[in-house]
This record gives sequence, C-alpha cells and structure tokens, in this order.
Amino acid sequence: MIHQKNPITKSLNHSISQSPNHQISQSPNLSINIGSLVLKNPVLLASGTCGYGKELDGLLDLDQVGGIIVKGISIKPRPGNPPPRLVETPCGLLNSIGLENVGIESFLKDKLPWLRNVKTSLIVNILGNSVEEYAEIAKKLDGAEGVKAIEVNISCPNVKAGGIAFGTDPEAAANVTRAVKKATGLPVIIKLTPNVTDITKVAQKVASAGADAVSLINTFLGMAIDIKSRRPALANVFGGLSGPAIKPIALRMVWQVVRAVDIPVIGIGGISTPDDALEFLMAGAKAVEIGTATLVRPSTAEDVPAGIRDYMEANSIQNVEDLRLPE
Amino acid sequence: MPKLDIPAEIVEQTQLAHGIFLLTVKAPAIQDSADPGQFCMLEVKYNNSMDPLLRRPLSIYKTRANGQISFLYKEVGKGTRLLSKRCPGEMVRVLGPLGQGFRLIDDRPQCILVGGGLGIAPLLLLAERIKQSGKLIILIGAGNASEIPTIEDFSGLTRYFYVATEDGSLGQRGMVTDLLAQTLREITGIAQIYTCGPWPMMKAVYHMARRKNIPCQVSLEATMACGIGLCLGCAVPKSDSRGFLHVCKEGPVFDADQVNWEYTQ
Repeated sequence: MIHQKNPITKSLNHSISQSPNHQISQSPNLSINIGSLVLKNPVLLASGTCGYGKELDGLLDLDQVGGIIVKGISIKPRPGNPPPRLVETPCGLLNSIGLENVGIESFLKDKLPWLRNVKTSLIVNILGNSVEEYAEIAKKLDGAEGVKAIEVNISCPNVKAGGIAFGTDPEAAANVTRAVKKATGLPVIIKLTPNVTDITKVAQKVASAGADAVSLINTFLGMAIDIKSRRPALANVFGGLSGPAIKPIALRMVWQVVRAVDIPVIGIGGISTPDDALEFLMAGAKAVEIGTATLVRPSTAEDVPAGIRDYMEANSIQNVEDLRLPE
Repeated sequence: MPKLDIPAEIVEQTQLAHGIFLLTVKAPAIQDSADPGQFCMLEVKYNNSMDPLLRRPLSIYKTRANGQISFLYKEVGKGTRLLSKRCPGEMVRVLGPLGQGFRLIDDRPQCILVGGGLGIAPLLLLAERIKQSGKLIILIGAGNASEIPTIEDFSGLTRYFYVATEDGSLGQRGMVTDLLAQTLREITGIAQIYTCGPWPMMKAVYHMARRKNIPCQVSLEATMACGIGLCLGCAVPKSDSRGFLHVCKEGPVFDADQVNWEYTQ
C-alpha cells in the first residue's frame, strides 16, 4: 500500500478507502481465525509466562494482545517443584517450575472474574495426569463465561502409563485430544512437546483425533551443572529450555508441522521481536505465542503486533495470512 | 502502587571496593513510590543482545528527592559484570518498584537491624524511615571491612551502631550474631528485628529472635526471571506446608516464621 505520512494525503486515502474497489489504501488486517476462535491479531501470551494476566496490569496493555493463555490449570492446586527452579543459560532459560498452579476451582472463582474485563481472547491451558483428569477440567471450563478456547499441555507424565509424557506417545496424545474434544465445545489447541523423534507424527495423530489447532513447541528438556557446588543447577535435575536459543529449532519444527497437517499451527519458541514473529508467520504459523520474552520485557506482546503491522504496511501486505511463503 | 518499566539515565557508577559498585539512576516515577525493602529489575544487556537474557534484581539502596535511585551491588557473574561497565549518561531499563517491602511498626518502636555483607542494601531506607519515629539499633557484620564500604551511610543514623568483622579489620572481631546476642542480653523491649544477609546468618538471627519472642522480618534473595510473579521461579519453601513462597511477589520481605529455614539448596 501507499504509506503516506502527509496528513492531507492521508485524509484523501481515507476517503478513497470508503470505496470497496480501492482496497489498497486499507490498513493491514491482522485478525485471524482458529476454528471458531477469532483473534484480533496473531500474537498470544504463552502459558506459564503471563501468570493469570493481572500480574501484567500496568506493564502490558492486554487489550492490544491477540490473546492470553493463562498458567496451566490442574484439577487440584499443585505446589510445584522445590528450588532452585531456574537457571539462565546462553540466550536461554532452563526452568523446572513443576506446573505450580492454583487449581481449577480457585481459577474459576479468584482469577477468571478479573480476566473477563480484558478485551482480548482468553485461552485456558490445562494439564492432567490421566485422560480422565484432562476431560474433567475441560468440562468445568466448557460453560465458564469468558473462556474462548482451551490449550492442552500434553507434556505431563501419564501416571497410569508409568509416567511417560502423553506428548511423546502419539496414541496417548490422540486419546487426550479425543477426551477433551468430547468434554467441551470450545476450540481445542494441543500444545506439542519437541522432545520426540518426529513431531509431525504426534501432530498428525492429534489432528485426526479432532484437535482444532496445534501449538508448538513446548520447552526442550535440558540441564545445567553448577561446577562450584558440583551439583545439578536445578533441584529437579532436568528442566525445560526456552528463549532465543531454541528459536531456529522451533521454527524448523513449525515449518515441518505446517506441511504435515491441515489444521492451524501456532508457533512458539524464542520469539522476542516482530522479526522473530514474522519468521514463524512466513513459515506458515497462523499465530505465535510470546513466552520467555515477556519475562524479560513485559510489553513484548504489545510491541510485536505493532511491528508486524509496520512490516505489512511497508511491504503492502493486506492480510496477515499472506505473510506465509509460497510453496 | 504502580509498577513501571522505563529507561533510566545512569548518573553515577562508582566502584567502592573490589567487585562492589554503587549505581545511581534517574527514575523519578519509581523513586516516588518506592518503599523500604522493595527492589527493581535492571536490564543488563546492551542494545538488542540476547545474552545475558534475564534482568537482574537489585534492592533499592537509596532514594533522593530529586528522583534518583541508587543500587548497591556486587559483581557475582556475567550480568552484574556487564552492568558494572555501564557509564553515566547511558540508559538502563528499570522495572520497579517491585515486591512487598518491610512492614513498619507504629508507636515509636525500638528496632534492631541486622545486616550481613551486602545484605545491608535493603536496610538503609528502612533505617532512615525508622529513625524518624523510633529507636534504632544497627548491627552490621562482614568478613572484612572492604565488604561493607558504605558503612558510613548507616553510622550517622543512630548512636547504637555496632560492626563486627570476621578478621577484625573493622569493629569487633567476630560475627554479627555475636553482636545480636550481646544486644539482646543488654536491651529489652525490642519490638522488631529486621534482617538481610546470607541464609545461615538470617537463620541464626531468626532463631535468636524467636527465643526472645521478638518478631523478625527477613529480606530474601532468589534467582528470578521476571520479578513480577509471572514465572514462579523464585520459590522458597514455606514453614507450614508443602507450598512455596515467591520472593518477587509475596516478598522479598517475609515474616521469618513463614520460611522453612531447614531447607538448604
């Protein structure tokens, strides 16, 4: 489009834009759909890095964000893992928080009312130790006013199957997907773990089990050792690696999954700038999640959509989905 | 109480002793609402560098009416080393004021402040505040004199000011807990003990306070990513349950009996 700073020309553009035949002067359209979920822009706050939203009040204008995916919720409150829970690594962060959360009852009573006043799409991340638990939480969220979609964390251990993560077993991942879909009419996004041999296999399985979208990637399993104390740096020994360090691998996996399934793909992994987000959108992600970057700079998820808009204006791209590279 | 994330101009960066720095920035909006015991998250990376990734939490040491905030800090790793290279005139991003600071006692109280090493950092504002209304006893300890280069900021605040160093280079030879034991033997009617320093020191101070039934507030330190309760990384075990306290949001100041002191990392 013609990007004019001159106010007279701009007003001229506005009058032209009223004519449907002059789409060239319209401002870029950043909105997207994921199933029945409509997002005002493709930038979401990733679960586990934005609390329950209120923590960011005054530091990030949530109304400018495409959606917020709140901290993963379980049936019962979870105290989380003992400290140390964090260790910084080059361009990255290892964490083993242990899915600490307030539990579904407290979420509905204490956290959800505040979130209803935010003018962005609310997505609730859920987790469980059995297929039944996932289904039970999904059912409780089904009628909850204000909840627009569910994201399912399948990186949790399947207690009944000896603790192996649901997300590393395509069949178990499909079972969770089916159970959650049956329990709720809300759009269901399955969040995939990268700690598998072939992520496209899990993506295909959950897609055929009825998932409305997949989001990827969750963190990479990693570790660090404190050579002064001669002990693992995390009390839990292993933790999940996030941050800019993982971006190239995340991008590669998103590229692969986009080409392996027909459902929308949400890209996650080290996105800190508009340029990072653009790479994922060009790889074919329909939306992106901002995670660790929010911990570093709380306003990131507000700056990224603004940067995407600038890029689209500068490159005469009308719809955000047109950013995807041609095959 | 509003939190702000703003670029702040560095007005002073002074090396006070080996590895110990005083950084002063101009941040009137943060200074204006900062309470004793609160902290800020400072961006230590240059420009758009991604390494180190995280900000560093630093206690607010001093505030001045002209909108300046000072941080007293020690170079302990890559982040603080980079921060120490920043010069006056440069901008540094500051998020604050954060956390729950010290709770003050009404009715002209008699309080003891116990600081160990750079654990004195969050205690100066508190001492200045208590001085306005109550009686103040300040006890400071360190390995040697060079670890506590700003001690004169404290010594003028009260005539009940005592120092102990392990090598005897300043004040009494010994530990700050020796000073506390002496003080508690000689003086009664202590309303509150406030402490910040290494974990074993704070643990000892808490036990001494408990034996005398004196309430004790501690300022804790933890590795943090966000400083605002998003990541839940800065957990410290609670004394009364399996749960955890979060240093950034519920702290950094806690009633000492909330903390499980038996936990060692």
